[in-house]
Amino acid sequence: MAELSEQDIRRLTEEALKQLGAEATPQNVEKVVRQAVHRVETEVPAGTQQVQPIPQPGKGNRIIITAFGKNQIGILAALTGVLAENRCDIIDLSQKVLQEFFTIMLLVDISGCSKDFEAIKEAVVREGEKLDLKVIIQHEEIFNAMHRV
Amino acid sequence: MPIALEEILETIRMTEVEHFDIRTVTMGINLKDCSSDSLAGLKKNIYDKIMRVASEHVATARKVESEFGISIANKRISVTPVSIAADGFYAEDYVEIAQVLDKAADELGVDYLGGFSALVQKGFTMGERNLIQAIPEALSQTKHVCSSINVASSKAGINMDAVRLMGEIVKQTAEKTADRDAIGCAKLVVFANVPEDNPFIAGAFHGVSEPDVVINVGISGPGVILRAVREAPQNMNFAELSDRIRRMAFKITRAGEFIGRTVAALQNVPFGIVDISLAPTPMPGDSVADILKAMGLEDVGASGTTAALALLNDSVKRGGLMASSHVGGMSGAFIPVSEDDGMIKAAQKGHITIDKLEAMTSVCSVGLDMIAIPGDTPASVIAGMIADECAIGISNNKTTAVRVIPVPGKKVGDVVDYGGLLGLAPVMPVSSLNNAMFINRGGRFPAPTRGVNN
Repeated sequence: MAELSEQDIRRLTEEALKQLGAEATPQNVEKVVRQAVHRVETEVPAGTQQVQPIPQPGKGNRIIITAFGKNQIGILAALTGVLAENRCDIIDLSQKVLQEFFTIMLLVDISGCSKDFEAIKEAVVREGEKLDLKVIIQHEEIFNAMHRV
Repeated sequence: MPIALEEILETIRMTEVEHFDIRTVTMGINLKDCSSDSLAGLKKNIYDKIMRVASEHVATARKVESEFGISIANKRISVTPVSIAADGFYAEDYVEIAQVLDKAADELGVDYLGGFSALVQKGFTMGERNLIQAIPEALSQTKHVCSSINVASSKAGINMDAVRLMGEIVKQTAEKTADRDAIGCAKLVVFANVPEDNPFIAGAFHGVSEPDVVINVGISGPGVILRAVREAPQNMNFAELSDRIRRMAFKITRAGEFIGRTVAALQNVPFGIVDISLAPTPMPGDSVADILKAMGLEDVGASGTTAALALLNDSVKRGGLMASSHVGGMSGAFIPVSEDDGMIKAAQKGHITIDKLEAMTSVCSVGLDMIAIPGDTPASVIAGMIADECAIGISNNKTTAVRVIPVPGKKVGDVVDYGGLLGLAPVMPVSSLNNAMFINRGGRFPAPTRGVNN
């Protein structure tokens, strides 16, 4: 993390004043300077980067769960039960039963969730296996990339 | 617009049934800053740089695979052509450098590392000549290292001395790895007009104009295109058929670019290009040959095969160019024989011949690729095949290449099984007519007039 001197902050303030021009109220200047300081402080020095969480710009952290298998009592209850336990927010769901085959799709927001993506994935897949379901879990972004121009 | 259930199911069908995956996420690493006044220092610098820069490459790719449910078949590395990063060494020094590259690749868990390369389309430096001489030994002593040599370009013409030399080097590489059915030759490509940002092995290297580190992506997905063509009615005309292919190519390119950008962002390195080549695998249903058959040919090799491939290649480009701002590398259809289930079968039946494959290379992205030929094929015949491909490449302003495997002790009709992605290679007949006088002329084959285009 970079150490900021008083001189740096003065320089940032001058830069902010120049940028804001006529809109330079004390509050606005403070806001811009704070943002700049935050940027500097959170910059990762080269060579030390680690695998970070997938960035989800402006979309929250939404995943799509798809499950297929033979229709039976309790599929929806089992899947949603696991999600509720992990404080995942179900935004939308759609299901189809064709003769005895069952397909379900859930759009789930995991941003308020107590566990990370891998842990939720494992929990839901394990629950699905108990019911002989094939469960596939993916971040929503891939579908937006592939199916929206 | 929310994502429809049908769209989700289509994506899942692509990945689960039709073998759609990202063929490779390749990290390009600049080694120009690794120079040292001693071989030991150079080796240390190369090893340290690769290990430092790529330390998270495989882990990051795995994480992205898991989060988006699209498999990344290979995690790879390409480096600055070793002849540029380390010019002026002796042949045995280059073998040691190859071993260092191999060690780094092994420890990082990547399957292949490309860049034991030289660009000699106009002439050799001493180091480049020594590196080429070191190829047979280097490829026999390493597992992950791949080598590519560019011997021709539309601007420079063909370096016929290099063509002759590469004929001999291919033979020597086959002999050095004779105990493993000449596997060394599967890691060696001879190019004309080589692209500098190609993520696909064995031709990948990190070009001199590239940034310090970059992530390039190669997509795959013949199975997805195959379904689109198979589901088309028999009387659908070519414009409509092209449109169907284009739509599918758009989707798979978008997925490729998204995955590539994500892997790059997580490692804090710039994203380079998507290579929109359709890369087949030996798995049934994942074949470029099958797409051509589905267009209405009894088998590949039928008259009309070259036209079918041209349509496929062009349609994929149309979709891919719309989907990504940075399309690069080879970007066309690959027609490797041993790596494509439909090609293997056609070759075994004698439906496809080297002559037809050569014609097809004039419209697809690469050349005579992964073709096993009889072990007693003379070096001059291999050099002649390289010269033919170079002529097609420089005259049409396109990339062409030769990756043939003269398997020692094998003759036409035998089959060589490499397993995995390299697949099964039926030994194919080549012309045995004498061309030694032509090849031995040497010197520089003049650049075509269309190379002078300013």
